[in-house]
Amino acid sequence: MSLTRWRGSHRVVIAVLTLSLLLVAPVAQAAEYYAGKTIEIVVPFGAGGGTDVWARFIAPYLERHVPGNPRVIVRNMPGGESITGANHFAANARPDGLTLLATSGTTAFHYLLGRPQVRYDFEKLAPVIVTATGGVVYASPRTGVKQPADLLKPQAPLVYGGISATGLDLVTLLTFELLKLDVKSVLGFEGRGPARLAFERGETTLDYQTTTAYQTQVVPLISQGKVTPLMTFGILTGPGKVERDPTVPDLPTVPEVYQQIHKEAPSGVAWRAYLAFMAAGFAYQKALWAPDGTPKEVMAALHEGARRLIESADFKEKSQDLMEGYPTYSGDAVEAAVREALSLPPEVRAFARDLVSTKYGVKF
Amino acid sequence: MPGAALDALAAFADPALLGMLLAGVLTGTVVGVIPGLGGTAAVSLLLPFVFGLEATHAMALMVGAVAVVHTADVISAVLLAAPGSASAAVVMMDGHALARQGQAGRALAVSFLASMLGGLIGAFGLTLSIPIARPLVLAFGSPEIFVLCLLGVSFAVSLSEGKILKGAAAGLLGLLLGTVGSAPNAAEYRFTFGTTTLMDGLPLIAIALGVFGLAEIADFLRRGAVASGVAAIGGGWLQGIRDIVRYRWHVVRGALIGIWAGILPGIGATAGTWMAYGQVVASARDKSRFGRGDVRGIIAPESANNAVEAGDLIPTLLFGVPGGVPAAIMMGALLVFGVQPGPRIMTEHLDLVYTIVWSFAIANVVGAGLAFLLSPLLARLTYVPFVRLAPAVLLVMLVGAYQDSPNIGTLVTMILLGVAAWLMKRADYPRAPLLIGYVLSLPTERYYWLTVNLHGSSWVTRPWVVVLLLLLVASVVWGIWSSLKANRAPDAEAEAPSGPAWHVAVSAGALVVFSAALVASFGYDEGARLLPMLATIPGVAVSLVQFVLDVRRLRRGPAGPATDRAVVQSALTAFGWMAAFVLLLWLFGPYVAAGVFVPLFLVTMARMRWIGVATYTLVVLLAMSGLTWLFGLTWPHGVI
Repeated sequence: MSLTRWRGSHRVVIAVLTLSLLLVAPVAQAAEYYAGKTIEIVVPFGAGGGTDVWARFIAPYLERHVPGNPRVIVRNMPGGESITGANHFAANARPDGLTLLATSGTTAFHYLLGRPQVRYDFEKLAPVIVTATGGVVYASPRTGVKQPADLLKPQAPLVYGGISATGLDLVTLLTFELLKLDVKSVLGFEGRGPARLAFERGETTLDYQTTTAYQTQVVPLISQGKVTPLMTFGILTGPGKVERDPTVPDLPTVPEVYQQIHKEAPSGVAWRAYLAFMAAGFAYQKALWAPDGTPKEVMAALHEGARRLIESADFKEKSQDLMEGYPTYSGDAVEAAVREALSLPPEVRAFARDLVSTKYGVKF
Repeated sequence: MPGAALDALAAFADPALLGMLLAGVLTGTVVGVIPGLGGTAAVSLLLPFVFGLEATHAMALMVGAVAVVHTADVISAVLLAAPGSASAAVVMMDGHALARQGQAGRALAVSFLASMLGGLIGAFGLTLSIPIARPLVLAFGSPEIFVLCLLGVSFAVSLSEGKILKGAAAGLLGLLLGTVGSAPNAAEYRFTFGTTTLMDGLPLIAIALGVFGLAEIADFLRRGAVASGVAAIGGGWLQGIRDIVRYRWHVVRGALIGIWAGILPGIGATAGTWMAYGQVVASARDKSRFGRGDVRGIIAPESANNAVEAGDLIPTLLFGVPGGVPAAIMMGALLVFGVQPGPRIMTEHLDLVYTIVWSFAIANVVGAGLAFLLSPLLARLTYVPFVRLAPAVLLVMLVGAYQDSPNIGTLVTMILLGVAAWLMKRADYPRAPLLIGYVLSLPTERYYWLTVNLHGSSWVTRPWVVVLLLLLVASVVWGIWSSLKANRAPDAEAEAPSGPAWHVAVSAGALVVFSAALVASFGYDEGARLLPMLATIPGVAVSLVQFVLDVRRLRRGPAGPATDRAVVQSALTAFGWMAAFVLLLWLFGPYVAAGVFVPLFLVTMARMRWIGVATYTLVVLLAMSGLTWLFGLTWPHGVI
């Protein structure tokens, strides 16, 4: 009995040892793999944009935490609203873990909408590290909107200023669609900043900002009576599960507002489209990808680096301001959820394409 | 508030802070001197070092670099006709003309002093406007920005050098080139020929370097050294200082335009510099010297382009809306330090704001001093036969354009634009209107649609709109009137006049381009075709009239002068070499391309001896790899 027990525990010990060896071995190999090598992060946007800042912020942490301490450099390949760089990556990057692609929600949207220029396929990419963000919708007090329900009967026209129907604005446009609001959307601003200036000047009456910009630029205007905050896009905690944004917990989420206005839980194709684009645009907005077929031990090293990076105190402290406390995930932890978000049922895609082409004149 | 300003100044007694600032200035100067690399390259280069520093030190470093890039980038424009940036292309027109007359020293002195003063006025204006900037920026809505853009476009008339039809054609071509790529108001791509390369439009630096840089180089190969004869660089310095004193109000005016263009998001640094040039030409009584070495043509844009960077800091710091790429990168760095640009920065980080202002002011003085020290050294380059400098200059320009938009298509576009600009030059078309049309094309279109969609027709009666519209009408009327007057005076100094056949050919070419673009515009959505049509319909009309005039002149007048053949041969050779280099680059990547191109060029064109050729090639290759290591330059990989 004791023998058996000993044998039993022996087996356990061996199993544990083997398992840990199996886990550690690839990393140890990969440490050799990455030693003295250089990882190039392709940023398909110009220098100074959100994705560029994100990639450049993360690069030194990857250098420190990926086993083998590779040099990490960032290369901008702007063009075609990130399609050029992502296409180039898809066509040329070898699956050796030495070239990674940084993407934003926009990159995913082109893919989800099936734009004809897109030659990249997220099914052939594996996530290394993913960062979430959030957004807040607010209105001008001139509209008489004091709470979300008032959006159905505003005293002044609801005018929204956006950049383009195929960018992150699509989530806001889908929100208006889902809630069945009567909003005049004026697209063509060169960025969210200028759109916010137009809101402050009174040229528009409805606006959204990412939470970071909301906290710094919009919150000071609330006490001056220039802004009525309305709702957030929320965060995803599981498939179809939207919860309150932890950085703005007192604001209801879009589905909560729907429930409040229409007295039922949101459902149907408009709701599924909202969920899909909200996930790609906010919940998993920034991501770093490796080409499919990258050897397992190399992926393991990258994910190990991502985990260590996320847990390091330095990153936690420094990223607080840049990422507003939104979570950063190691790619393997969210791979299934990200893949789920990026595979759109045909009818949902058709709904989104139909919306942007009939209402906003996008051609496919 | 003055207390905080003085405290921030006192902090510069700390050698570490001052050291950071100087390091930034040094970086900015070096980057500025290299054609094609600008503020973006300088800030990206410094960014990795910044994260390890304190916030004030980091800002001193970055602001120091950004503040002086435009001081230094005129050096290569003036001396080598290789504009260091799109803004420097403005200064090149008059600056390089002066250098060719042996007055490089005067041109550089004027330029550095105007830069420094413009920067100081910018820093001062920045300080003054911080408390009132918010209401000021908010008073200027989409309609005002739209009319301001129109005002800028109208300067094309004044920049026509007395040739209204040709100036209009060039300006309209600029507007048309600016519409390439995605339309701001409609989800549609225009004139992209199905490529992704053109989806984001033609890169500004490729236009500036192609239209002003390559087109000049094509004519230089047949000339010797840039500076002709003995007129030394030194003698001009004093004259330059006198020029600045004489035209002091032009300095102030240029700087104010620069600050304003920087403060208003959406107009852009290059457009601000061009508008400063446009206004000085528009308001000048005697326009005959512009483009042929008028110091006012250096003073206005130079004082503006450093002031633009100062003005740019206002939307960046107070609204979190960066006006340009360098400002966007600095804002990213600020975020990492936990400093949030926005309304609260004035209460929470006033010290940092003043550190930035002082860094800007000090950097401008130090940068100008550094440029003064550096330029006699660089000015010696003008005594080297240009053909020997050509391979290096060409390489640097192409590399610079490639960094801005890393695609071999950029280089092809640049050479094609160079050829087009060279033809324009031969047929006596002014090129300045093209650039001003190009830089204002997108903001004009964007803010037109925003104005109409947001305000209906009520915008026309807004007070600032009325003021700006009156200014616009006055500027156009005055421009046309003085152009007509100038037309009567014979153009005595026009260099190497070309035969009327050239004029016919170029006008016909313009007619074809405008007509083809007009036909293509019909295929676009309502929202996407307005500006292309506004550019092409008058474009067709203007080039048709010009074509008829040119044909009549051809029938009447004598054939072209005999020099034409040599000129054409030289240009064909030059563009042939450029095309060959781009082909090599595309096929084999940078080192093989340079390793083949440089010695081949030096042996066949410059007829250098082999020791010289070998050393030259080695230095070029080492410099390439050094710069790649330092700046993380991007190169084509080579398809083979």
